[in-house]
Amino acid sequence: MTEQAIARETPATRGSTTAAISDWAQEVTALAKRWFIELGRERLNLVFSVAQPAIWLIFFGSGIGRAVDRQVIGTSDYTGFTLPGIVAFTVVGGGVAAAMPLMWDKEGGYLDKLMSMPISRSSIIVSRFVYQFVLASFQVAALVVVALLAGVSFELGPLAVVIILATAGLLSLAVTASFSALAYWVPGHGTFFAITGFITLPLVFMSNAFVPVEALPRWMEIVARLNPLTYAIEAMRLPIIKGWDGDILVALGVLGAFSLACLAVGASQFNRQTADRVQ
Amino acid sequence: MTAMIEARSLVRTFGSTRAVDDLDLQVESGEIFGLLGPNGAGKTTTIRILATLLAPSGGTARVCGFDVMTHPQEIRRRIGYVMQKISPTRNLLTGRQCIEMEASLYHVPRREVRARAEELLGLVGLLPHADRLFSQYSGGMQKRLDLACGLLHRPQLLILDEPSLGLDVQSRHKVWDYIHDLRRQGVTILLATNYLDEADRLCDRLTIIDRGRVVVTGTPSDLKRAVGADVIQVTTAEPAPLAAAIAGQPWLQRHAVSEAGELHAHVTDAAAALPALMGIAAASSIPLETVTYTRPTLDDVFLLHTGRELREEEVTA
Ligand SMILES: Nc1ncnc2c1ncn2[C@@H]1O[C@H](COP(=O)(O)OP(=O)(O)O)[C@@H](O)[C@H]1O
Ligand SMILES: [Mg+2]
Repeated sequence: MTEQAIARETPATRGSTTAAISDWAQEVTALAKRWFIELGRERLNLVFSVAQPAIWLIFFGSGIGRAVDRQVIGTSDYTGFTLPGIVAFTVVGGGVAAAMPLMWDKEGGYLDKLMSMPISRSSIIVSRFVYQFVLASFQVAALVVVALLAGVSFELGPLAVVIILATAGLLSLAVTASFSALAYWVPGHGTFFAITGFITLPLVFMSNAFVPVEALPRWMEIVARLNPLTYAIEAMRLPIIKGWDGDILVALGVLGAFSLACLAVGASQFNRQTADRVQ
Repeated sequence: MTAMIEARSLVRTFGSTRAVDDLDLQVESGEIFGLLGPNGAGKTTTIRILATLLAPSGGTARVCGFDVMTHPQEIRRRIGYVMQKISPTRNLLTGRQCIEMEASLYHVPRREVRARAEELLGLVGLLPHADRLFSQYSGGMQKRLDLACGLLHRPQLLILDEPSLGLDVQSRHKVWDYIHDLRRQGVTILLATNYLDEADRLCDRLTIIDRGRVVVTGTPSDLKRAVGADVIQVTTAEPAPLAAAIAGQPWLQRHAVSEAGELHAHVTDAAAALPALMGIAAASSIPLETVTYTRPTLDDVFLLHTGRELREEEVTA
C-alpha cells in the first residue's frame, strides 16, 4: 500500500454551480454507462425490445385497421393514426422496465451503497431515463421504418419524426420517474408488479391511443382528457395525419410540465424511500 | 486528538423494537474502533445512522465534525462505507467496471478514474482479476472489491460492517492486514463484528453492545484485565519447591497447588510472567513437564457484564 494511496484529500470546496453541474453530469454518465454495459451483455433483450413495437404496429395497422370506421378516426390511414398510440404504449412499458433495476438495487442492498455516496438524488433516475430514451429512439426508428414500408405518409415530413422523438423523450421521463418513485415506495417487488400490471393497460386504453377522444363514451372522454398520455399522443399524431398545428405546442407544454412534476416526485421519493431516511 | 464520531443518546426504533437504545459512542481520529455484539445487537443500525442512511429517532450524531441530519452530504464525501451484505446486482459488470463507476460517483476527476481504480484493485490484490465478471468472483474477492470501493475518495473514516463475515481464514487475514495498513496511513476505522478474535486482534478500542445498549467500552486488554488474572498451569514432579521458588515475585498475584499436583499461578500478564517463571524453574533445577496458560477472552467480558455468553447468542440468533 502506498503512502500516497491514502493521503488526505480535502473534499473540494463546492457550491459553485458549474462544479455541481459537472459532478451531476459525471454521476449520470457513470450510472448510464452501467445500464448500457448490462444491455450489451444481454443483446437479445435489445433485439426483442426493438422488434416488439414494430410487430404491434403491423398487427394494429393491417389487422384491426380493417375494422375501423374511417369517419370516426378522421383519416383513411389507420396505421399512421395508431403509430403514436404504439409509441406511447411502448414508452409506458419501457418505464416499468426502467424502474426494475432500481428495485433490484433496493432489494439487493446496493441502493444503500449508492445513497451513502455524495451523489445527487436525481442522478439515478435521470440515468435510467437516458438509457430508456436511447432504447426508445431505436424503437421509434424501427416503427418509422415499418410505417414507411406500410405506406404511411408523414404530413410534416422528417420534422414529424423529430417531434415524435421529442414527445417520446418527455413521456419517457414522466413514466421512468413515476415508476421509479413507485419502485422506491413499495415494500417489495410483488407490489410493484401488481400495481404496474394494474395500471399500464387502462392508462393506454383510457386515452386516444386507438380511438379519437371525441369518439369515446362521455366518461372515458373525461378520463382521457386528464390522462397525460392523451397529450403525448396528440403531439405525435397531428404531425403525422394533419401537418403543422399550434395544438402540438400546447400538448407538448402540458406533457413537459407533467414530466418535470414526475421527476420531482421521483427524486423526493428516492429521498424518503422508507419514509424515515436522511434527506 | 479530535473525535471522528461523536454520538450522544442515540435511539432508533422500528415499530416497538428499540434497535439502538440510548447509545453513546466516541471514536477518536486515527484509531480502529470496534462495535462488538451478537446478531441483532444494533450494530448495523448504528452504522447506518452514522453513514447517513437512516435518521435517528432520538439523540445526535456527528461524523467528521458534521451532524448526520443537517450535513449528510459533507459526511458522505468524507467516509467510506462497506456494507455487510454483498449486493448481487452488479453481476453483469466486471470488477474494473464496478470500481470505475464508483470512482466517478465519488467525483474522482475523470482523467484519474482509470488510474485510481487500478491502484485500489492492486491494493486488494484484484488487478489480475480486474476484467472478470463480478458474478465470477468468490465471496472473498467480492468483499475485497467492496473494500477497495470504500477507499476510492481517500476517506478520513472507513466504516466496515462485518468485514470478514463469511470469508475463509485466508481472506480474513488478508482483510485484517489491509485494515492494519490503513490505520498506519492515518485512516480512522469503525468496524462492526460479532467475531471475538477479530475484535481482539484488530481493534484499538471497542464497545460491546447488546440489545442496542452499550455494555462496556475500552481497549481489549483493559476489558479482559478487568475480568481477572491470567492463569498459568504447570505440571511438574516437584510442585512444592517450585511454588516456594516463585513466591513473592512481583508478577504473581496468588498461587495454589491443585489436588492433581498442578501448580496454578494467577498472574497479571501471562506473557510477561511465563519467561520469568521458567527462568526460576531452570535456575532451581526443577524440571517442568507442561506449561499452559489461559487468559480471559472477550467472551468472558461479555459474560461478566451481561450474564450471558456472546458465542451462544451467535449460534441461536
Ligand atoms: N429496517 C428494519 N425494520 C425493522 N426492524 C429492523 C430493521 N433493521 C433492523 N431491525 C431490527 O433491529 C435490531 C438490530 O438489528 P441490526 O442493527 O441489524 O443488528 P446487528 O447488525 O447487530 O446484527 C434487530 O432486532 C433487527 O431485527
Ligand atoms: Mg449487522
